[in-house]
Amino acid sequence: MRPWARYALCGLGGLALGVGGAVMSVRAGAFGAGATIGPWTTGTDYGTAGASAYTRAVVALRGLLALPAREARYYNAAVDDAGRPLDGRCRYAVRGGEPGGAWWSLTLYDHDGYLVANPAGVYSVESAAVPPAERSAWTVAVAPGRQGGHWLPSGGIDRFELTLRVYLPADGGHGNLPRAALPRIERLGCP
Amino acid sequence: MRRWLLPLLFGLAVAGIAYEAALIATPRVLMAAAVRRVSALGGVNVFRATPLATASARTIVRPSPDLAYSSCVFDLTEGPVTIEVAPVPAPYWSLSVFDARTDVAFVRNNRGSGGGPIRIAVANPGQDVPPGIETVRVEGARGIALIRILVEDRARFAAIDAARRESRCGRLR
Repeated sequence: MRPWARYALCGLGGLALGVGGAVMSVRAGAFGAGATIGPWTTGTDYGTAGASAYTRAVVALRGLLALPAREARYYNAAVDDAGRPLDGRCRYAVRGGEPGGAWWSLTLYDHDGYLVANPAGVYSVESAAVPPAERSAWTVAVAPGRQGGHWLPSGGIDRFELTLRVYLPADGGHGNLPRAALPRIERLGCP
Repeated sequence: MRRWLLPLLFGLAVAGIAYEAALIATPRVLMAAAVRRVSALGGVNVFRATPLATASARTIVRPSPDLAYSSCVFDLTEGPVTIEVAPVPAPYWSLSVFDARTDVAFVRNNRGSGGGPIRIAVANPGQDVPPGIETVRVEGARGIALIRILVEDRARFAAIDAARRESRCGRLR
């Protein structure tokens, strides 16, 4: 083989490896991979010029047009408290309190970041739906079939994710919520 | 085998550069795709009021089902664009402007505006904007202006929907 052919071959291989590697690592990246707090991941540099090329790429894929931290904080979970992937066929209890902000919402998405079809047409639970007496200790049931109380249908899909949004965070979005202020995600059972 | 050493090192260097270049290009590529999807539905320099998100919503990832979105793809090729947001009867609403690289160029909510309307011009560096208009400078010809409105109760959506349609996005005249 001629020398130029060796360079061309290795150069093409390197190009494929580099682009392929970037696509794979961005696709594997979690929305908000800046910090991991229990099952939750979050970041404070969405939509800002200071974010790294990798963060910007992941946010563009997973949360395009996300708001900056002072306006809203996004916490995303793809696993339960025990670190197991969230499975739409299982039942979960998500227990939380006041995350400190003007209001919050908990939304269920599929792995690609889209809402999950369900007969009830329920996609999220927001703070306004939680009576004042429950606000410091609320429970949301996540399950494919209807549950009593606050219910977030998982549609029975293979893998789902939960996103907690805290709007107008009390600290201006500078700090991450501590583990104790973020909801716990307990798997109750699987078929 | 030694004849392959330098070509392999060359290949590794190409891989490293290609990796970084692909990461840097990703936001622009995905933003351009979003701009195409949104403008295909409503054109450019006009607000499109989208219905509340459901499982069939595929325009933008991670839509919030608690928010009503109105989006305007702005195109500055022929000059600056003005954006006017009308107040709506909701506890929270905001305007955010994203440039071609997905960076946030501007955010203001109803608290910041004192509950009143928001009026800004969006322009590229060097484009003339008459004095007296708050101006947001962005890089790149196209981007997205997004209004988010909190809908705490879907029963009240009709009033919010009517009010948000008063918002305007269009060429500066």
